Amino acid sequence: MEELQQPLPERLDLFTCIQCGKCTGGCPVSIKSPLNIRRVIRESTVREDLHIFFDRLEIWDCTTCSTCAIRCPRGLRPVDAIIGLREMMVEEGRIEKTIIDALDGAYKYGNPWGRAKNKRAEWAQDLEIPNALEMDPGQVLYFVCCAASYDPRVQVVAKSLVTVLRAAEVSFGILGNKEVCCGSEIRRMGEVGLFEMLMEENMKNFTKIEPKTIVTTSPHCMNALKNEYEGLDSEVLHYSQFVWRLIEEGKLSFNTEVPMKVTYHDPCYLGKQNGVFDEPRDVLKSIPGIELIEFGRCRENSLCCEGGGGRMWMEGTGIGKRLSEVRVEDALEMGVEAIITACPFCLLTLEDAVKTTGNEEKIKVIDLMELASMGLGVTPEVE
Amino acid sequence: MEKIAVLVEHRQNEVRDITFEMLGKAHQLLEGGGEVIALFLGDVSQKGLLDQITPHAHRTVAYLDSNLKDFEPLRYQAAFTNIFENVDCQLILMGQTAFGMDFAPAIAAKWKIPFTTDVVDIEASEELHAIRQMYSGKVNAKVSLKPGEKMLCTVRAGAFPAEDIPTVSGELQEITGAIEGDFSARTFVEYLEAAVGDVDITQADIIVSVGRGIKDADNIPIAQELADALGGVVACSRPVADKKWLPKERQVGTSGKTVKPKVYIALGISGAFQHQAGMKGANTIIAVNKDPKAPIFSIAHYGIVDDLFKVVPALTEKVKELRG
Repeated sequence: MEELQQPLPERLDLFTCIQCGKCTGGCPVSIKSPLNIRRVIRESTVREDLHIFFDRLEIWDCTTCSTCAIRCPRGLRPVDAIIGLREMMVEEGRIEKTIIDALDGAYKYGNPWGRAKNKRAEWAQDLEIPNALEMDPGQVLYFVCCAASYDPRVQVVAKSLVTVLRAAEVSFGILGNKEVCCGSEIRRMGEVGLFEMLMEENMKNFTKIEPKTIVTTSPHCMNALKNEYEGLDSEVLHYSQFVWRLIEEGKLSFNTEVPMKVTYHDPCYLGKQNGVFDEPRDVLKSIPGIELIEFGRCRENSLCCEGGGGRMWMEGTGIGKRLSEVRVEDALEMGVEAIITACPFCLLTLEDAVKTTGNEEKIKVIDLMELASMGLGVTPEVE
Repeated sequence: MEKIAVLVEHRQNEVRDITFEMLGKAHQLLEGGGEVIALFLGDVSQKGLLDQITPHAHRTVAYLDSNLKDFEPLRYQAAFTNIFENVDCQLILMGQTAFGMDFAPAIAAKWKIPFTTDVVDIEASEELHAIRQMYSGKVNAKVSLKPGEKMLCTVRAGAFPAEDIPTVSGELQEITGAIEGDFSARTFVEYLEAAVGDVDITQADIIVSVGRGIKDADNIPIAQELADALGGVVACSRPVADKKWLPKERQVGTSGKTVKPKVYIALGISGAFQHQAGMKGANTIIAVNKDPKAPIFSIAHYGIVDDLFKVVPALTEKVKELRG
């Protein structure tokens, strides 16, 4: 926490910024929002009082996709300046009610929707998944996290992953009601202290069971556990990586043809931030009948869906067309039947965009694990 | 009970309703006997406010000082000492307001007075009981005291009527004397006015909410008409606010408002989890949707699987008919 007391520009080395503008040039929301990340960096180094940012709603437009950090020739992380400003706003209580509710929910109930703690594992009640806390050390832990635990749409993804893991005869457990939010979104909304609390709570259980591998539903959780959790020795994998390993090791193969022309949308937290581009595509291609056509903007250039960085709870300026709608229209032009993705937030935002653009009859949004489940002859359905 | 003290609450030179609500309740508890004592802290320039108070209290104890115009917790706590030493009572009422929630705990701690927060009713037959709600209003708790103890209550705004308060011939007792101490740790800066919104959907008892099923901005009046007939307001799901058919302030859901009306009528709303999170606390949820598989039906108490353009006009007509 001592680091935090340093002023933002010093802490993030922002004085070394050469103002080249590659960050803004690649920023997906700068197409539509007044957010100019290059300018934010400049201003934060010359302004004496950073309170001037507090009334700028566009600070909340940032989805923390981190394109700016990939493109920066100086190796800076402009996105962290945004998160730093949000930290200051949270610290001084200058935040919207929707964010307060999300933080409050995560604090009291361990999930940003404030849903009951004892209903966290309800999605799995008929699946007889072992309690990870009673397993021997060195096993596989499935870290479900909030969206997959509570959102009926994303629960289908969790169930599909269970189908796939069982087909490969993987023995694994879940933490059930003892699991709390990974804190990734909480941190990006600027509540570092709460993030640390959630981390400690999860770490208590991780230390107890010492899993060999932790598999996550969401790339956001994977990123947090892998790159931000201190002292975690376990290997952390997104399900796409784990499932591809199972296929490579010959433990899993798909027996049902799924004849479908699809495209794959790279989630920012999986691709841009963790370099996982190939594994989800490899899984896709190993399902018989799947024809993969790439988006023009794919891999490092993938267009963000705007679901991350706290955007599920805070809309920012709300100016301009949603990028998820752009994505759906691009996909329609390519003539695919479905957009496949591997992140709960991408799934929700893209599916919403299919509805708001009125294309429900023409295109579907399917999670990679739902597709994999179909490749095993099990058609997943929302209850 | 013989004596009840009520702390007057004022903001921006206006006596707030909660003050009269508490004075009214104090009179009711004393049933014509005993003494209602109003406690006033304020600036010399605010002396005029006392004209509204003195007619409703047997005694008004006022401490006027040039630095007490706006609420400052530390300075007010010190000033309160000056008046409270002159007051003997069994029950002290303060508002369960931003002011009272800050002030009352400090007073309770300092004077070691048993303290009950967010009280919705008070009974004073043989013993003194404060009623407060628990578990989001599902349970009422009755808090009682050992005989002979005082009690400090913060009272929920709106729990008691602010009208028809008995008038008594009250005396005014002004207290003077300096307050000393360093109050700089927390000082009054400014009042920030809440932005003037269009309609505050979080305060509505009846909400008619529209989703994508409304198809076009031109169709919003159909929902508005039903809302008007019911005495409610129109809200919407995110896609409707996205398309600017209704202002963002009307959006219900995780990135919009959380509402808990008595009745929530969802028209053409599929009910994604993010929308449900903003309205599932409604007492009664009525959903109209063409799609029987729409998730909204999983939480609706009443559901109509049909075209909203057929259902809503019929509903509006029936409501108008019943309401005469």
